[in-house]
Amino acid sequence: MKGLFSSLFLCLGLVYAQQDSLKKLTELAAAGNGVIHLDSQSFDLLTSPKRTWSASIQFTALSKNRNCVPCKEFDPAFSTVGKAWSSVQASDRDQHFFATLDFDNAPNVFQKLSLASAPVVFAYPAADGPRKPASGRTAPTKYDFQDGFDAGPLAQHLSKFTPVPIPYKAPIDWAKWFTTAIAIIGVGSFLRLAAPVVFTRWTWAFGSVIVMLIMTGGYMFTRIRGVPYVGRDGNWIAAGFSNQYGQEVHVVAFVYGLLAFSFVMLTLIVPYQTSPAKQRMQVYLWGAVVIIIYSVLVSLFRVKNRGYPYKLLL
Amino acid sequence: MPSLAYPVPTDLSPATVKNTASLFRIVTLALISGAAIASRLFSIINYESVIHEFDPWFNYRATRVLAAKGFYEFWNWFDPTAWYPLGRVVGGTVYPGLMATSGVIYYILQALNLPVDIRNICVLLAPGFSALTAWATYMFTKEMKNESAGLLAAAFIGIVPGYISRSVAGSYDNEAIAIFLLMFTFFLWIRALKQGSALYGTIAAVFYFYMVAAWGGYVFITNMIPVHALVLILMGRFSHRLYVAYCSWYAIGTLASMQVPFVGFQPVSTSEHMGALGVFGLLQIVAFIELVRSHVSSQNFQRLLRVFLVATGLLGASAFVFLTYNGKIAPWTGRFYSLWDTGYAKKYIPIIASVSEHQPTAWPSFFMDLQMLIFVFPAGVIMCFRELRDEHLFVIIYSVMASYFAGVMVRLMLTLTPVVCVASAIALSTLLETYINPVEPDAAVEVVEPKQTNGETTAAAAPSTPAGKKAKKPAAAAAAAPTSALSELVAVSSGKKTASSRGIFGLDTRIVVVLNTLWMLFFFVFHCTYVTSTAYSSPSVVLASQGPDGSQHIIDDFREAYYWLRQNTPEDAVVMSWWDYGYQIAGMADRPTLVDNNTWNNTHIATVGKAMSSSEENAYPILRKHDVDYVLVIFGGLIGYSGDDINKFLWMVRIAQGVWPDEIQESNYFTPRGEYRVDDNASKTMRESLMYKMSYYRFADLFGGNQAVDRVRNQQAPKNIELDYLDEAFTSENWIVRIYEVRKEDILGRDLKSANAFEKGKKRKRSKPITSRRRALAA
Repeated sequence: MKGLFSSLFLCLGLVYAQQDSLKKLTELAAAGNGVIHLDSQSFDLLTSPKRTWSASIQFTALSKNRNCVPCKEFDPAFSTVGKAWSSVQASDRDQHFFATLDFDNAPNVFQKLSLASAPVVFAYPAADGPRKPASGRTAPTKYDFQDGFDAGPLAQHLSKFTPVPIPYKAPIDWAKWFTTAIAIIGVGSFLRLAAPVVFTRWTWAFGSVIVMLIMTGGYMFTRIRGVPYVGRDGNWIAAGFSNQYGQEVHVVAFVYGLLAFSFVMLTLIVPYQTSPAKQRMQVYLWGAVVIIIYSVLVSLFRVKNRGYPYKLLL
Repeated sequence: MPSLAYPVPTDLSPATVKNTASLFRIVTLALISGAAIASRLFSIINYESVIHEFDPWFNYRATRVLAAKGFYEFWNWFDPTAWYPLGRVVGGTVYPGLMATSGVIYYILQALNLPVDIRNICVLLAPGFSALTAWATYMFTKEMKNESAGLLAAAFIGIVPGYISRSVAGSYDNEAIAIFLLMFTFFLWIRALKQGSALYGTIAAVFYFYMVAAWGGYVFITNMIPVHALVLILMGRFSHRLYVAYCSWYAIGTLASMQVPFVGFQPVSTSEHMGALGVFGLLQIVAFIELVRSHVSSQNFQRLLRVFLVATGLLGASAFVFLTYNGKIAPWTGRFYSLWDTGYAKKYIPIIASVSEHQPTAWPSFFMDLQMLIFVFPAGVIMCFRELRDEHLFVIIYSVMASYFAGVMVRLMLTLTPVVCVASAIALSTLLETYINPVEPDAAVEVVEPKQTNGETTAAAAPSTPAGKKAKKPAAAAAAAPTSALSELVAVSSGKKTASSRGIFGLDTRIVVVLNTLWMLFFFVFHCTYVTSTAYSSPSVVLASQGPDGSQHIIDDFREAYYWLRQNTPEDAVVMSWWDYGYQIAGMADRPTLVDNNTWNNTHIATVGKAMSSSEENAYPILRKHDVDYVLVIFGGLIGYSGDDINKFLWMVRIAQGVWPDEIQESNYFTPRGEYRVDDNASKTMRESLMYKMSYYRFADLFGGNQAVDRVRNQQAPKNIELDYLDEAFTSENWIVRIYEVRKEDILGRDLKSANAFEKGKKRKRSKPITSRRRALAA
């Protein structure tokens, strides 16, 4: 009988404690503009195994001497999503909390979770009460920054854990619209002035050949894969056959362009030379350019493809 | 008589020159065809007459059905063994052009009493069609410049690795015939445009239909021709020739293409095809305006034109938007869309992003596939700009667009290759013509009156050259007739003086340039032979490795395993594997598969991915629900075959995550430091996954106590892997293919894990009674 009483009391106490901490968290969230700034105590409070609420927690290191560049890049995105969340109805809002934990405020939490890097975002589902997931999984899940540090994908991902979707709307990028408008006007007026130049065929020829050279130099590869301009070790040639750095695009496009240019000179320009001596000199010059630059190109290719058996002068 | 750099025989009649030249052309084309076919036979000589890779196995299987049962049966073929248990309506989900082509060849040969095996027809179809491609390219380039450029282009396309990569013997894929159809359709389009001929436009439409029936890449033609027409209109080059050519091609081609069941109503209902429709409408408007212009005074016409253009433009655009929103016009398909927004595929359709041929192209691949052509072809485009006839615009647009597409996807290198060959041939043949032409120009000061020597009579024969013939047709008059090297030579030898303000002085300059070019051409041939024989001729069904002494060792694990399945398992045994091997299992082992290379059902593929990446206990119900009897994995760790399943594993995880984000998470398969490892540091989820266990099961035993090393990833392989729900059924000689049998449920109703433990004689561990703690609390 005594046992029953005490357990009943314990239960009631628990409920009160829960409501108490919920209230506290709500206040903290309001104070932090939608995002609770945690220390190790409030972290334990927020992630208590009896929580009836869910939470998204950002683990970060924003202090200057930590020198964490991605943390600083990501922090605004998280704050805006948190702020967007604070605008929903109070009854929904108080069931999910956004919080951020700085390494310098609670290094022991980082240790406890064995986090070795920042920023990290964990989503904690509710562990008790009506919002406990049906699968019974209450362990936190990690957000993998697959789509970068943008707020949009983050809000979309975290909406899976909130009672209602986060009302995040990407802010209108006025600067972008402005520059686009300026660019359109600029191009328009430029076209008016420079129409005689723009509508000659050689302008178009130049443009298309540049596009072709850049594309065959592997520009789209660098765009899609997001490879750096030069390697980390200062090497500008990436190892491996199907890999390359940004600088290689320029070098290769330049080499191709020079070779194509020599052919154009030999075919279109040189025959118009009326002095035999000058013409002979030009023929030999462009012939030499072709041979030498081609050899350079082949040796460059041999760097990329080690098994290639042929080589020219170099 | 102009001064000549080297003596030219003067006593030849033009007829002799012409006949000899055309004989040479025919012989050269025949030799080019021979070279094109021969260089594609490395794979047969080095290995054997076998179908290659993955997709060709399905095409081969479908062709066998077609040859055995006839076209009608093939059309209605429902394949219950693919995509088990869903099945696949093959007739309606396939481009039948390839199979129909082989089927027709097969029937013709049978009718001639030549009993050729259907397999050999399939294997040799691609080399055969490459000879036709060379011819089509010759015709196309002839329209651009002249016969000599055409021959060069034919030679280039015949041996260039960028095309050989998809058309070696045994590579029985849609591209094998598609490139011929592409080039020939383009040739017919140019011909139709030049002559304003509805006949050629219609033939172009017929070949367009053939292309639609053969390859999904027909969309390239569907957009290329309208873009060309649009640019012509924008440049103010609208003509009735364009109108006739385009309308006859579009109307007949579109109607014909809708007869292919797999395409159906797409040509009038999807965004990819809207460009062609829009240009068709625009042409009608422009033609109407032209008609009005010829009847109305110019001032009124201007006003009318403005009102009319604005009104129709607004109407057309709003109709398009309205229909798109209403769902009448489907937006761009994912595959097409991913060409523009390159991040799209990775985010939304991981299956497309996971295919290796959909990766972007780095520059070494361009050089490997096209070698010197890659830098000569911009020069050819410049030459096109110099003349800028209607057909040259086509080459220019094609070059720019195809360069972009080839950069985005390795696979589209194939569409870039023909135009590179054509443009390079134009550049090189212009160069050679300039430097082989024996006529020396007049030096700046002297002005020589052209003398008429022995010419009068023979010069009169000159109009029989192509230039004269074209001039007869008023339609072709606008396009200046190309002056071929031959006609120039004829003109020179007959003493007719051409304008010689430009030209080359001296013999040494000629020799330098010609030798330089010849040397580059020879190097090109060596390069092509090397690349073809080493890189593009392996069937990938049969592998080869070289011993330290250079001896060749054939690795035939795939066929060994597939034939094991065929011989040792019941005919209805369902085999689960990753989708890459679906077609091969169906083709060689003749067993039902869960998923295959026709990746139409993402969820089904994700199911397989989920089974592979879950733990045994979680995977087992999935396997049983899908009636899986055998699971097949590819493991390259023993001999260092890097294309194995462990290396593809992350894609399985990603695709499964796309459908079950709560149960499968990619990050769980990495070590805490973010590395993808298979040794003892591997994450727990990784070590428990079915794929991991099946790959490394008993692998360590091979090394007899020594450290087991995975030769692909150069990491230590794990020991002591136990499987409770699967039994190892077969492992091929070099361990590349491993097949596991799925156990049936335990007869006594235990779960298989404890049943297994019991059999091994282990005592069942009693977990501590949970109640004890609660009791302690209550006390």
